[in-house]
Amino acid sequence: MTSQPLFILLCSGEHEKIQMAAMMASVGAVSDRTVHVFVSMNALSAFAKDAPPGQRYSGGAFSRQLLEKGAPDAMQLFEQGRMLGDLKMYVCSMALDITGWSEDSLVDGLFDDALGLTKFLSDAEGGQFVTL
Amino acid sequence: MAQRTKIDARGAFCPGPLMELIAGLKLIEVGDEIEVWSSDKGSAKDIPEWVAKVGHEMVGVESCEGYDSIVIRKAK
Repeated sequence: MTSQPLFILLCSGEHEKIQMAAMMASVGAVSDRTVHVFVSMNALSAFAKDAPPGQRYSGGAFSRQLLEKGAPDAMQLFEQGRMLGDLKMYVCSMALDITGWSEDSLVDGLFDDALGLTKFLSDAEGGQFVTL
Repeated sequence: MAQRTKIDARGAFCPGPLMELIAGLKLIEVGDEIEVWSSDKGSAKDIPEWVAKVGHEMVGVESCEGYDSIVIRKAK
């Protein structure tokens, strides 16, 4: 039986939510499931190409523990999902327009394309949809 | 004869041990085995669930001092 594709709409800039999105995306993708991630709003800044280590994420007490304990970095988890499974990453074209960023502003090799919400929602019909 | 490779993922947090297992599976032949050592408390249930979903074979799970030993056979 083929699994439903998983669609993750990631809007939050909170480390904890980005970490959960990365965990869901990577584990889903390596479990014979197609996963699509759409990054928009405050989440965009976490994907900045030149973010200094330790300053990529904003977050609370759990974020500090993730960093202190050396939990897998969310960007690495997304990369692993792409390398080992069927994970597609899209950046919101509106968010790029608002910030003045381009795809070149983002972590190298992580994104497949810039996309509008309409296309993402259309693709998501029939799949499982999660918003973080 | 089947070969067994050991992956010591003790100290890695979820989903690190699973990811290390998957990367390791790409390097071995069908019929060979991987033994994962994981101190992540979820691995003893997560890894068998993943193995069943994607069609490999569980050989066994053993609880050791401070970690679990999980053995998988590559089936495809």
